[in-house]
Amino acid sequence: MRSIRRSDARGVALAMRVLCACACAALALIGCGDPRSGPRWQGAHGADETPRRGGTFVFHHESDVRGFDPAVSFDELSTMGIRLLFDCLLDYDYEMNLVPSLAEALPDVSEDGKTFTFHLRHGVRFHNGRELTADDVRWSLERMLNPDLASPGVEYFARLDGMADFAAKRTAHVRGIVVVDRYTVRFTLTQPDQTFLNAIAMPFAAPVPRENYGPDDEEVSRHPVGTGPFTLEDWEPGIRVTFRRNPRYWQPGKPYVDQMLFELNLQRETAFMRFIAGDLDHVHRHTPADRMFLAQSRAWAPYREEHIKADLWGLELNTGMEPFSNVHLRRAVAFVVDRERWSLARNRALAPLGQALPIGFAGYDAHLPGSQTRDLARAREEMRLAGHPDGLADPVTLWIGEGATGKMYGELAQANLAEIGIRVELKPVSFPIYLRETGKPRTAQMVFGGWNQDFPDPATFFDPLFHSRSAKDTDSSNRSFYKNPELDALLDQARAERDRTRRTALYREANQIVTRDAPWAFLFSNIMVEAWQPYVRNYRVHPVWSNAFRDVWLDLPRRRIAQRYAPHAGTPAALMPFGGAR
Amino acid sequence: MDLRAWRRFRKNKGAVAGAVLVGFVVLIALFGPLLAPLPPNEQFADALDRVTGLPVGAGAKFLLGADQLGRDELSRILHGGQTSLAVALGATALAICTGLLVGLLAGYLGGPADTLSMRSIDILLSLPFLLVAIVVNRVIDSPSLFVLCGLLGGLSWMTLARITRAKTMQVRELEFVQAARAMGMSQTRIVLRHVLPNVVQPAIIIGTTLVAQMIVAESAMSFLGLGVRPPAATWGTMLSDGVTMLSYKPMLMYLPSTMIALTVFGFNLLGEGLRDALDPKV
Amino acid sequence: MIELLIKRAAWAVLVLFVVVSSVFFLANYIGDPASAILGAQATPAQREQYRRAHGLDRPLSEQYVKYLIGVAHGDLGKSLKDDQPVVEVLLQRLPRTALLGSMALFFELCIGLGFGIFAAVRRNTWVDTTVMSAAFVGVCLPSFVTGPFFLREIAFRLGWFPVGGYGRDALDHVYHAVLPALTLAIIGAATYARVMRSEMIEMLRADFVRTARAKGATATAVVLRHAARNALLPIVTMLGLSLPLIVTGAIITEKIYDWPGVGRLAIESIDALDLPMILGIVLLASMTVQVGNFLADISVAALDPRIRANAKS
Repeated sequence: MRSIRRSDARGVALAMRVLCACACAALALIGCGDPRSGPRWQGAHGADETPRRGGTFVFHHESDVRGFDPAVSFDELSTMGIRLLFDCLLDYDYEMNLVPSLAEALPDVSEDGKTFTFHLRHGVRFHNGRELTADDVRWSLERMLNPDLASPGVEYFARLDGMADFAAKRTAHVRGIVVVDRYTVRFTLTQPDQTFLNAIAMPFAAPVPRENYGPDDEEVSRHPVGTGPFTLEDWEPGIRVTFRRNPRYWQPGKPYVDQMLFELNLQRETAFMRFIAGDLDHVHRHTPADRMFLAQSRAWAPYREEHIKADLWGLELNTGMEPFSNVHLRRAVAFVVDRERWSLARNRALAPLGQALPIGFAGYDAHLPGSQTRDLARAREEMRLAGHPDGLADPVTLWIGEGATGKMYGELAQANLAEIGIRVELKPVSFPIYLRETGKPRTAQMVFGGWNQDFPDPATFFDPLFHSRSAKDTDSSNRSFYKNPELDALLDQARAERDRTRRTALYREANQIVTRDAPWAFLFSNIMVEAWQPYVRNYRVHPVWSNAFRDVWLDLPRRRIAQRYAPHAGTPAALMPFGGAR
Repeated sequence: MDLRAWRRFRKNKGAVAGAVLVGFVVLIALFGPLLAPLPPNEQFADALDRVTGLPVGAGAKFLLGADQLGRDELSRILHGGQTSLAVALGATALAICTGLLVGLLAGYLGGPADTLSMRSIDILLSLPFLLVAIVVNRVIDSPSLFVLCGLLGGLSWMTLARITRAKTMQVRELEFVQAARAMGMSQTRIVLRHVLPNVVQPAIIIGTTLVAQMIVAESAMSFLGLGVRPPAATWGTMLSDGVTMLSYKPMLMYLPSTMIALTVFGFNLLGEGLRDALDPKV
Repeated sequence: MIELLIKRAAWAVLVLFVVVSSVFFLANYIGDPASAILGAQATPAQREQYRRAHGLDRPLSEQYVKYLIGVAHGDLGKSLKDDQPVVEVLLQRLPRTALLGSMALFFELCIGLGFGIFAAVRRNTWVDTTVMSAAFVGVCLPSFVTGPFFLREIAFRLGWFPVGGYGRDALDHVYHAVLPALTLAIIGAATYARVMRSEMIEMLRADFVRTARAKGATATAVVLRHAARNALLPIVTMLGLSLPLIVTGAIITEKIYDWPGVGRLAIESIDALDLPMILGIVLLASMTVQVGNFLADISVAALDPRIRANAKS
């Protein structure tokens, strides 16, 4: 700014006043009013429960979907879409029981527990119009099990008879999958496996029509054809996927909505704001503060559900490296972590956990003896037993993923471990490096990590995380490299055990062993809070599938654009440039 | 700076305001950590509301409120200021030194050195700054402060080099320099005693604006999640931490934003004031 | 003139080559894209198969040569994330960033030039001081300062604009682009306002303007036709140079507002280690810089009457 002549001093004063007025206006904007509000739109028909047809349902995720090939896409995002496009032989109900879907009824199981016979429904049609037959079921499974596809689903079917030969390409078909007649298919296993039916219910086993599933992986991924309630209408990469109602769906009258929009790449920070503004009909990926607000808001209480996710998070301690090869040091870490504090820092979006299974799984025991809890005295005692009463001389490196969340957890861990004299250095790395390096046996001392359930059975956690055969030299899923032959035997036995009570007892024992040996300092399961608009009906949180939208119906299928322009509650419409048009 | 320039500077109210602001910010950078009432990285249990887990607002213990991990906001701003400014000043120093060096060599020696320098500058100027900074930052997982300074400074010296080169070429042709050459003075002495003082002035002016740009660049990178390693804070990392609380506790973002804006404002004012004082357009 | 153009073009190509090559080798040290893209629960077999399918297991020099040959044919490879051709994805995303950029440019010019002229015409009054002070403050407000503020207060609290996102049809896109464009435009508008004002003041004092006034031209005609047009020269130069700033500035703005353009693509690609995409974006950004510089040089040559006079003689 050039020097101003004295005669312009008044001009300067006036200018300053104008600018100050603007600044005050800005501050006033920030200061007053509560940005959090209740739902802006209600359903048109009140409590009337008759489902109505029509409308567009909008849901979202924070990442980008890669494809809709059910045999390959295994992430949560793709599954949300795959569940709309495909059916499997079996499904889960809201109580986690297996129920028949494409199969007419639950399968006939042989005496020795090794043979399963399924009878398919008649008249089920693919999106391309052709009827579903048992041959399609076999073809789809063999496509998925083909080693060239490298599907992650293969290991769930490892006990199918003839898998070894098929995987080595010595046979053209899997011996254990037999087409009995047009609507009957039979599976034979080499040993009894209680998780087989769970595997059949997974998206991997969804039947697909061979005429639409040629060798081009990309083509197949972008143009899915299944038997599900919706077809893929359009896909704007990175922006949204549009699903259109399948008029030929085998369940009469369903689905109810005409169109589903899957908004992609919505960042957490603004997702909830967009939900309140009316851009979204359902919200789930938001910040912890949003979760807290939802959990406490009375206005939103009927339209939200809070549930503990079936995942397991903790500090994975490398038992094959110093210093955590010493069990006492591991226990010290397990007992010094203040899980309550962590939960508070995440606005109570975490359910503290002190054992090797999340709540609700067979073998979980709320009063498990030896459970890991915050006990500073005990932690110090364990340090003394380890021979390090004053702490460790060298710092320990904690590998965390990039991003604000990983950073926060790392800092929380640093603060806690400092209490027993362990200095922690954080190593935030990109996700691919994290996967690669922590999967090697002698690279990372301590890793902050977690595991989601693949299906509702304890084997989904124990086998990949703590069985010794999962401890590999590269890409090990057992990142603590924990090897305990006693546990291995227990897990193998439990997997084949048919009696539920005995199975639960076996897993409880496994739980106790792992919790006591502390290859992980178990920390928490995530608490998910989802919310939906009041005019969204028939939505419930499904215990197995995240976000099951198939049976949703809308009570207010109005054009969304008009809704978006509605003014914020409490602000005079006169201030709105569009006159508060509804 | 000669006496007339100083007087011009003093009369310019904007320039003085800028100098005051800069002085204030530098004071924070130097003594801020001493003034901080609480340790910046300690997470206090009473800073988070018992029920909601939301951080408390301004109060007796936490003068500017707390962040979402329960750390004192004021202390973090003071410490963060030190780190932000250290990086900005370090990067600027590096940029000035490199720019001066390259510009002097290119302008004075001419010939192949000149061509090489100018071509390299052209190439470097064509690099999209932020993109390259992000990519390099990813290669060097969590860089130290030095590396960060090096990265930022290494991408910003080009304009100064060009101007220095032009000035050097101008000065080189002046009579007294020719005379010194004829008298047999060594090249180095000529450069140091005669050329350098003339070239320093624009360097200082550019330097102040460069500090402002470096603060913005460092904050931008920290905002995108790169930059210094946690739990060290800069204003930029405080910004990216605060995004999750945007609709509930916007002050967690607005406070570091304001500090960044004020600092940039101050340095820009100072830079303009210096330019007016040293090189007035009547 | 033609010779100059050819030389410039050749130089630009060389620069692009150096830039792309450096980023290629640099980015290859970042990590394994297969893990980034396939996610946590992918098996090692899946990742190996992925690497094989995308030629990532070949030696680096071979990949490099293959890539260069592709570029020469206009093929920038396929995205590692979803196998879409890089060129296609860039062409898809570019219009969105272009929309943002052009609206930002539009705001910059309207607001900047408008206020600049206004301040010049009312120079040394309180209006002038206010505008110039506001402009000075505006220069100090980068997008990560103003973006969240606008998003929270104007979009979310007041509800005047959507809270980020892209919208469903053409008009909707423009509506969604207003706030991000404003965020991008503030610094530019402030800069143009200041430059325009000082240039206008000089012009208004110039001889030819006094001549026009003496001949009886109205004040407005004087301002707009004579003074402003000549004051535009430095603005046009700056326009060319500001093109690359919009591309890089968009990175932060697109992140804040969830705008699915090239800037967000850059962040996503770097997160996913999608090397062909990263290279494509760097190439695009560098090309923009070159084009911007080129336009700036040409406009100076074309518009400055002194240079034109020199060229003629």
